Amino acid sequence: MSLLKFTDLCFGYGANFAQPASFELNAGEVVALMGRNGSGKSTLLKTLCGKVSAMNGTVEIAGKNLKDWNAVELAKKIAYISISKAAPERMTVREFVSLGRMPYSGIFDGRSAEDNKIVGESIELLQLTEYADRMVSTLSDGERSRVYLAEAVAQQVNVLLLDEPNAFLDIPWSHQLFRTLRQLSAERNMGIIVSTHSLEYASQYCDRFMIVDNKNLNVGTLAEAQEKGWLEWTK
Amino acid sequence: MASANRRAIVCFTALTLLGFLFIYLTLNSGSVEISWADLGWRHVPYDNMKQQIFWEIRFPRMVAAILSGIALAVSGLSLQTLFRNPLAGPFVLGISSGASFGVALSLLAGLSFGHFGVLGSAAVGALAVTALVMWVSSRFERSSILLIVGLLVGYFIDALVSILIANSDAEALRVYVSWGMGSFGRLTFDGVLIFAGAIALGLVMIVLSLKYLNAVRLGDDFARGLGVNVRRGRLLVLLGASLLAAASTAYCGPVAFVGIAVPHLAFMLFKTSNHRVLLPGSALCGIVLCLAASLFSTVPLNAILSIVGVPIILWVIIRGKGEH
Repeated sequence: MSLLKFTDLCFGYGANFAQPASFELNAGEVVALMGRNGSGKSTLLKTLCGKVSAMNGTVEIAGKNLKDWNAVELAKKIAYISISKAAPERMTVREFVSLGRMPYSGIFDGRSAEDNKIVGESIELLQLTEYADRMVSTLSDGERSRVYLAEAVAQQVNVLLLDEPNAFLDIPWSHQLFRTLRQLSAERNMGIIVSTHSLEYASQYCDRFMIVDNKNLNVGTLAEAQEKGWLEWTK
Repeated sequence: MASANRRAIVCFTALTLLGFLFIYLTLNSGSVEISWADLGWRHVPYDNMKQQIFWEIRFPRMVAAILSGIALAVSGLSLQTLFRNPLAGPFVLGISSGASFGVALSLLAGLSFGHFGVLGSAAVGALAVTALVMWVSSRFERSSILLIVGLLVGYFIDALVSILIANSDAEALRVYVSWGMGSFGRLTFDGVLIFAGAIALGLVMIVLSLKYLNAVRLGDDFARGLGVNVRRGRLLVLLGASLLAAASTAYCGPVAFVGIAVPHLAFMLFKTSNHRVLLPGSALCGIVLCLAASLFSTVPLNAILSIVGVPIILWVIIRGKGEH
């Protein structure tokens, strides 16, 4: 069973960004979502996690229609990360990452010892230990990107949707980020869709390409994409 | 994390001790000296004047300061979080204006709102505005729209109040202005239970929204991604915060600054945005501040609170760069 599957999906706000398309995301794979600015990459990611309603077609998470998921249970399966330029106010890194345990907490939003352990591990995984008690607003954009990712890791989801996570990262940290994504997909059996403008990182770290171009949504390996000319627009 | 827990324990302990100290001082402040030996459980008619002073004046004043402190601080913190605006407060939704309008109708135009009199009028006015704001909120997703609507409603009602003021006689105007200065001395023993009941109901609504408050700082979308029911959370917070502010305004007048200043004070002390800590922390700060203000019985409440509140807000604005 695929982690995420969409069938004959139409997405957009009033008008379709692309012709109806189908796709399955498997455990352990990282898929690069590419396309020009305004081609609908963010809208597609938001449609896949239910933030934006699909115009047509169906989206399934772990074999169950997105619409049938309870919000709390869905939050344990899928996370959408968009690294905003505006930093969260008055919040330490640990507090931010700890938000990832909210779907597992009770009505009073307490954290168990197990929750705290998972938060600590997530902070460590993203190499944020030395920043754990610093305010998120005092961190650089790159450091903040890792904080957002640590929060999603603490959420222990199967599917990660990342909206241009390396937009604010320098080259070494971009490589580190994509290596972490590979590590997460391999060690935790996650399925990851990551939107990026970098063909270099996508080629080096992603298993498949999902390309929105000229009102078409195409999915395939790098070789297929090159062969069929899906990447011509990048030249 | 251990240092954060230690900080919270130290702050809670210090504020609780300070609270008890101010309770003691509030109950003992006044020209008549009352010893504990003079007092018994309240039973009417009173055996002596000291019992009457204690149970009819000092005890309700202390309760009013405590409940008002809790109400305004929790209401302010919740609204600042909901609107993601550090200068939002209970007054931003026009609740205070609604209460003022209710009181103005009662005191200046002679309209009565049943046997609760002026206090009932304030509550009715405040809750009417809350209902209007909630009706608008049910039609818009974005919190910023609510903020604008709250301000507009406030301006509109202030205009109506000014018309009533312009056409009122001097004595009615004097009473209205006195109410507007705020006081913890207006609550009677009989009103304590109703006031406490309204505060308890408002607090329950806020506490039921803890997850929403913790998540919504990052935006509605982020909160939804964590499985939070944003619409329900926002309505509960709005209703709870409005009820808290309405009850306080009705019984103690439009008390300014506590709602805006105290959440900042609590954050400075507790250094956390976790509302599990910040809500009780703000409530305790509110209690201490209001009890301290109640000791200055000869100075109008709003004056003494503003003298304390304004420097705090200025400090937050000037210093805010690092933490905002």
